[in-house]
Amino acid sequence: MKIDEDPRIKVARRGLTLSWTFYSVFLAATLAAAALSGDEPRLFGLPRWVALACVVVPAAFVVALVPIVEWLIPNIPLSDDRKDAR
Amino acid sequence: MNLALVSFLAYTAVLLAIGLWSYRIVEKVPIAKYEEEFYAAGRGLGGVLVALVTAGAMASAGTYIAGPGMCYAYGYSWVLINITQTFMTLMLLAAVGIMVGLVARRVNIVTYLDIFRARYRSKGVVLVMAALVTALLIPYMATQFVGAARVIVQMTGMSYLASLALGSGVVVVYCVAGGMRGSAVAMLLQGIVITVGTVLLFAGTWRAAGGLAHATAVIGALDPKFLSPTMLGAFPWPFIFSVACIGGYLSAGSPKGMLGALTYRNTVALKRGIWLGCILVFIWTLLLCMAGVLGRAIIPDLKVADEIAPWLAMNVLPGPLAGIVLAGIVAGIQTTVAAGAIVITSGIAKNVVQELNLSLTPSRMKAVSRAIMTGSLAASIALALTQPKLVQWIILFALGGIASSSIAPILLGLFWKRGNAWGALASICCGMTLYALAFTLAPRIGVFGMHPSFPCTLVAALAYVLVSLATPPPPEDIVQTFWGRARSQELAARAAADD
Repeated sequence: MKIDEDPRIKVARRGLTLSWTFYSVFLAATLAAAALSGDEPRLFGLPRWVALACVVVPAAFVVALVPIVEWLIPNIPLSDDRKDAR
Repeated sequence: MNLALVSFLAYTAVLLAIGLWSYRIVEKVPIAKYEEEFYAAGRGLGGVLVALVTAGAMASAGTYIAGPGMCYAYGYSWVLINITQTFMTLMLLAAVGIMVGLVARRVNIVTYLDIFRARYRSKGVVLVMAALVTALLIPYMATQFVGAARVIVQMTGMSYLASLALGSGVVVVYCVAGGMRGSAVAMLLQGIVITVGTVLLFAGTWRAAGGLAHATAVIGALDPKFLSPTMLGAFPWPFIFSVACIGGYLSAGSPKGMLGALTYRNTVALKRGIWLGCILVFIWTLLLCMAGVLGRAIIPDLKVADEIAPWLAMNVLPGPLAGIVLAGIVAGIQTTVAAGAIVITSGIAKNVVQELNLSLTPSRMKAVSRAIMTGSLAASIALALTQPKLVQWIILFALGGIASSSIAPILLGLFWKRGNAWGALASICCGMTLYALAFTLAPRIGVFGMHPSFPCTLVAALAYVLVSLATPPPPEDIVQTFWGRARSQELAARAAADD
């Protein structure tokens, strides 16, 4: 089943790879922070693992996501008449 | 009349106005474009609306009511579990959004089930998915109405029945009148109200609890389990991981979230929708869950844990601000219900009617769409009369069921050319059967303490691959439509010639 593949499919695949990789790293970091940090010493008045796994790590990943998405997913036209790239 | 109720009624009045306004817009659309307008808002939503539609649809009462409720009941462990849903807009819009956006424009896909129809061209797949989505989304929507009614009961002291009518009636109006257009505009208002309400609730609770350090000490003195990430073993790590997978990897098959992928204008809007959606979900989830935990330090013996968020709003904030918080909670729930109602209606009114070859005139189709939407909402409202206690378990059940059956046909279907209708049918049936067994005859399917949806999804994906490989490949024109570029080049050349 060989076809001449639309180059925009590569961008779609990149979106899938990016999202799954990003989420896997986030989940590993969050669960590791929760499992390994312990309660003491408190951070922001919270048990250390809560501050790290529920506040610091997710916030850092959310901030990092903005440039990652903007840079790694290029703008492409979606309809075949190529008028809607922006 | 208390000030909280006045704020809430003002919010409800604006929603009704949005419903009537969007009704006029939808009615002006030419009949040929009606479906695209009613179900996909003309495929013209910008980044902010895409973020709100996707995040609002996917973050449900599980975030606004049950999230704080579970955190109140189980302490910081549930904050950890809920925070893993932060990236669900990324996991849907980036993972499948681009592919859906491309194919949707090629073959005019406007509904969730249109994706299955275009990819598998199988009456069986579409009808089974329609039945499944309807069967799981109606109880799911019912839990949302329960959450909304509980908020209004707390706020007004009205009976549960009257509160249910007030919280659900306005959704019926703006969904039925304005379809996706009405829901999207309503979500803009609701997104602002949810965010402001969430920040207010956390700030008020933090202040009333005497700060994070004091509240944590009080909660720890009540029970040290509340400070443990696993609640001292009550939630084993495999369970936490499997629930994280539902809110993460398995989000890609969410029918409600797919509305965002079907309605965005261009990739600029898509990208903005992805990161803005993640920011919103993070703020909503973190602040509401933290408020739920801190609430235990203020009132340690609330009988119904799910009532903690409205209780806090009414007891730690002054009247008008409490009204904004409560409107925000109800708004969050309404966005989810609206998305669910659109998915069910589009599935039945468009896809099932199409598959059964019922020839309806466009104006008749309009009436049928609105009748089905009213019917699905009415069924959910009727189920909400049973008043279940901790609604989070029902929400997880419905989301897990949809994920188990739909993730492989959607995700593998969009990225693996060899997948076919037989594989999709096997995957849907296998996933759903195993999932039903896990909650009835074979609870051991949830191996290592995992939520059953995780192993069921893996087995369903395996069934998709094996059955697809054992049966003939999909027709070449389907592959061409989804991955080929010949048609796009031909059309581009034609468009250039027209210009």
